[in-house]
Parts: sequence; C-alpha cells; structure tokens
Amino acid sequence: MHNVVQAVILGVLIGGVYALMASGLTLVFGIMKVINVAQGALVILAAYLSYALFSHLHVDPFLSILIVTPAMFVLGVAVQLVFVRSLRGPDSQELSLLVTWALALGIEGVLSVVFKTTYRATNPSYADKTWTVFGYQLSFVRLMAFIASAVLLALLSLLLTRTKFGRAVRATVQNPTAATLLGVDANRVQTLSFGLGVSMAAAAGAVYGVIYPFNPGSHYDLISRLLSIVVLGGLGSLGGAVVAALVMGVTEAVVAVEWAPTWAAFSYFVVLIVFLLVRPQGIFGLRERTL
Amino acid sequence: MTRTLARVAALATVAALALAAASAGRAASGPIKIGISLSLSGDFSDSGKAAERGYKLWQKLVNAKGGILGRQVQLSIQDDTSSPTQAQSNYQTFITKDKVDLVFGPFSTLLTAPSAVVAHRYGYAFIEPAGGGPAVFQEKLNNVFFTQPAPVLQSGDVFAKFILSLPASERPRSAAYPSLDDPFSSPIADHVRGILSKKGVKTLYTTIYPSETTDMGPVIQKVASKHPDAVIGGTQNDDAYAQVKAMIQQKFSPRFLFLTNGPNDPAEFPSKVGAKNVNGIFSTGDWFPQEHSYGNAAFVKAYIKAYGGTINTIDPTAAEAYAAGQLLEAVAKKTHSIDNKTIISALHKGTWRTVEGNLRWNSIGEPQGSDLLVEWINGKLYPVFPKSVALHKPLVPKPAWGK
Repeated sequence: MHNVVQAVILGVLIGGVYALMASGLTLVFGIMKVINVAQGALVILAAYLSYALFSHLHVDPFLSILIVTPAMFVLGVAVQLVFVRSLRGPDSQELSLLVTWALALGIEGVLSVVFKTTYRATNPSYADKTWTVFGYQLSFVRLMAFIASAVLLALLSLLLTRTKFGRAVRATVQNPTAATLLGVDANRVQTLSFGLGVSMAAAAGAVYGVIYPFNPGSHYDLISRLLSIVVLGGLGSLGGAVVAALVMGVTEAVVAVEWAPTWAAFSYFVVLIVFLLVRPQGIFGLRERTL
Repeated sequence: MTRTLARVAALATVAALALAAASAGRAASGPIKIGISLSLSGDFSDSGKAAERGYKLWQKLVNAKGGILGRQVQLSIQDDTSSPTQAQSNYQTFITKDKVDLVFGPFSTLLTAPSAVVAHRYGYAFIEPAGGGPAVFQEKLNNVFFTQPAPVLQSGDVFAKFILSLPASERPRSAAYPSLDDPFSSPIADHVRGILSKKGVKTLYTTIYPSETTDMGPVIQKVASKHPDAVIGGTQNDDAYAQVKAMIQQKFSPRFLFLTNGPNDPAEFPSKVGAKNVNGIFSTGDWFPQEHSYGNAAFVKAYIKAYGGTINTIDPTAAEAYAAGQLLEAVAKKTHSIDNKTIISALHKGTWRTVEGNLRWNSIGEPQGSDLLVEWINGKLYPVFPKSVALHKPLVPKPAWGK
C-alpha cells in the first residue's frame, strides 16, 4: 500500500506539469480548431531558454518563467500571424498540422545547432531537496513544479472566466459565427489565444527542464503524450486536460510500480481507448450534433 | 615457327610484366587513399564528428612522420546522414568507383554491420571503431576488426569481475537491475546479472523500461522498496541521469551503483546529477584520457592542441577512430604492405598496441580484452579496475548522496 500511495503522489505531481503543457494545446484547438503539434517542441525550446538563463545569468528556473513566458507569448503571436492565419479554405485544419509540424522540426534543428544534441538539465541548488512526510518522499522541485503549474492554470482559468477577453475566447469556442456577429474580433482572439497557448508551453518548459534531462529530440515523446491528454480530456476543454493529465500521471506511476514500467504508457492508452469507446467526446468534451 | 612463337610469347610476357611493374610503381608512389563513411549529419552526427576528429588527427600525425611505407595518407570522408543504406552506398562507391586502397569503419553498429558486408564482398579489411554490437559479429566476417577492448555486450563484465575480486564480506548480497529497453543497454546488465547470480548475488528485482520513459521516479521507487545492496542498470545517458536524480530525490543510496552509460561521460555527468552526487558511482569505458596505453599521452596532447578543450571533453569515439589508424600503421610496418588480404591475415595473429589498449580478436572480429571499470572519486572519474590499468583505489561502499 505504501508503494501505491507513493506512486500516486509521484503521478499527481508530474500530472500537474503535463496539465500545464496540454492546456495551451487544448486552448488553441478549442478556439482555432488547430492541432498545434509544435507544442512539444515549444516546451523544449522554453526548457532551453530557461537553462540558458540559469547557466549564464544564474536566473532561478522558476523565476525564469516570468521572462520566458512573455517572450514566447510574442513568439506565439508572431507564428500565428505569419504561418497559421494565412491558412484559409476547407483544408486549413489539415494544413495547420503540416505547418506546425514543420515549425516543430525547425525548432528542433535550430536547437541542435545552437545547443548540440547532448542532454541538458537545469540543476538549481535545491534540486536534491526532498521532504519526508509520514514516510513518503516529496521532492521539492516536483512539488514546486506542481504548485507553479497549479497557479498558472488557475490564472489561465481566471483569465478565461473573469475577463472580457476570456468571454470572447469562450464565445469563439462555443460558436465562432455567433461570436463574430456579436462583435468579437475573431482574428484578434485567435492570435492572442495562440500566443497564450505558446506561453503556457513556455512556463511548462521552464519547469520541465528542472525535472527531466532534455535534448532537442525530446519533443517527440512529449507531443504524443500531450495529444493523448487533450483527447481524453475532451478537445478544447481546459478542465478536461487537467483531469486527463492527472489520470495519465497516476495510471503510469502506479502501473510502473505495481506491475512493470513496460506497461505504464500502454496502460494509460488502454484507459484512453476504453473511455473513448464509452464517451467519444472525452471527459469534458461536447458531443457534436449533426443534422 | 615454333621458336618464333616462343620468342613472341616471351617478349609479350616480358612486356606484360614490365607494364605491371610500371603500373604498380605508379600506384605505390601516390598517397594511400582511405575511404570512410561518417555520420556528419543526422542522429549520430555528434559522434560521427568526434570520429572524424580522431581520424583526421591520426592522418595529420602519421603524415608528419612521413606517412605509411613512405606514402602520405589521404582520407576520403563522405557523410552518410546517419543512414545505413547511405553508408553502404558510400563504401560501394569508395571501393568500386574511387578504388581506394583501404577503408575504415563508420559510427555505430547500425551502420557498421551492413558496411562491413560490402567491404567483405570486395576483400577489404574493415578496421572499425564503433560497431561493437551483436549485429556486426553475427555476420561472422573475417575482415572485421573492432578497435575497442571488448564487444559491447560484454562491456559490463568488468564490474562483475571487480565485485567477485572483493572479499566475500564486502560483496553485495543482493542486486536490482533496472535497464533501458535498448539492444546496447539491457543485454549488458543481463550479462552481469548472469555472472553475479551464479556467484550468489541474489537478484531482488529486474525490470526493463521503454525508451520513452521520462519519469524514472516510479522505477526507482520500486527498486528502493526491495532494498538491494547493488543497483546495476543497463542505461544510456539520459535515463542514467534520470535514475540517479530519482535516487537522490527518494533518498535511496545503494552500496554499489553501476550504470553502463551516463556516468562514464566526465564532461556531462556532474552537471546533470549535481557534482556533489557523483562519488562512488561506477561505469564502464573503453578508453580513458589518463590511460597508460600505447601512444595515449601523445594522442591526448595532440587532440587538445588541435581542437582545444580539456582531457575531460575528449569524446572516446575520437580515440577509437584514432586507434583504427594506429592499427593500420602498425600492421603496415610489420608486413611492409597495405594489401588488404595481408592486413586481414596479419591482424588475426598476435596482439596490437593502440590507445584503446592491447587489442586482439577472434576469427569474427570480436575483441578478446576487457573494458575499464571507472568510478567517480572525489569528484573525478578514474579507472579503478583491472588493477593493471587502475589509477585509483576503488571507493566502496558508495558514500551517501552529497558526500
């Protein structure tokens, strides 16, 4: 039982970080119906930026969120304006997959040239700190990562529910045509939301680098996990992404400890498939109505 | 009529011999051309470029000494983009179109195995620095000579030998084996487990995790719950870093910790796990900068002069490639020939001195030596076993994290 509880703790802590990464992906899909497959690469890009700030300027990786996030918000806005907005017509969603995949490969290539392909890790002085609570190990950095993720997700939620911009975003998610007719500037909402999605990846990346070693190719594993989280949570649902990320974290950790690590990722996909058979729209997704 | 014919035949024979001699004379007067396919782009580009540095450094030094058999060495290096088919194609071109005198091997088992077959088809010796996996030796080719002390799968055996060299009271009684699902990782740990379990080291836990496992927390949690004396992991670099970090975070410090890869990289390991956490961790290596092997001090000095950095930043792949050159130099000196058939025959006899130690092979190119056991002691990486090459006394048991 001790092992299971410890595994649940590990799973919840890491699930929180995945929730932050996936939040940007689901937000962008909800508004623009664009699956940003560069989200994983953007996380890794942010991990490198945070690593560089830590290595060269001794900026604490958690404080670097305050620098990396706005910087990558601007990058996200630029990407949306230059690459994504120009995609029009009935195939625009499919084309956006290709465009964002090209972006991911471009980011990977640039990082390989600048930082080489060797693994990096952001190791602040408190990286080894662990608290023992009732016999359970609580890694300080993982706890901090979880708290940072929870705070950022809460801020994102407040932004979406308590501001005029948030109302415009939600209106666009629910019915883009009606939102436009009611005066919502859809282009502006899409651009800012894409930037917001990228900035969530940025914050998660700064945290990711403290927990895991990474190299430019690390985004391949990430994006497959993020997509599966978004699908389980329900495309476009922020709350769904959070719940799905926690389900993934806990399922994988418990299976790895109680059964075998080989089956950890597989078991999550079994949960995903079984759930989707029962509820195809995901945990909080809305069922599409057809005439 | 018969005498006339005989005279014509004799003249023709003399003329043919003279032409052959002249032709041979022309060939022998030019540079010795060596074709090498290397991964200068793609997944293996970092290591491919390291091999290139080793080959080029050897070329520079050997040419400065007057070359081989009085002829300068000319390397023809082609990028294979880390693709096995491109590597095969490169060797085919080297041999059939460019008609190089010799070839050296590419980087990694994946590219070496098919390339060695091409070289074998045309009777070329295949001195290769980085193809030590089973796929290379399964071909059972007599032209392959791997310039490292031991095949990859046996690279961890040196740790088992070290453990068995300890007094019984100091040996671990139990072990756990968390390993990466990778042909160059988990089989090495399995091999060590086979040796140790026969000698009474109880296996408490063994598991293989897939390469996409980023979070090593649950794996180490399970290992720690078994309380093994030793943890022996078949690892590559990133999962080794993650294993160590997870052990630190879970306050689990086994008496013996051996990881096949990761801790053997002096330039990277301390920054990944924290410099204060490295002490007492064992790994294995085929080459070490301070090793007293043949020509090693000169290699290290020339490498730093040519490429900068410190002894800790020299990629062992460069030393492995350099050893390939040393080997050719030695066999040419001994046989007075660079004929491929002569080289193959000669290398199958005796022991050959290189920066990688004294090498000898069985009939299919598997080296018959032992890798080095290296350990972090006082923040530095030292070879500690076998005793003949050790530069420091082993530190056992492993100190607690941060000590």
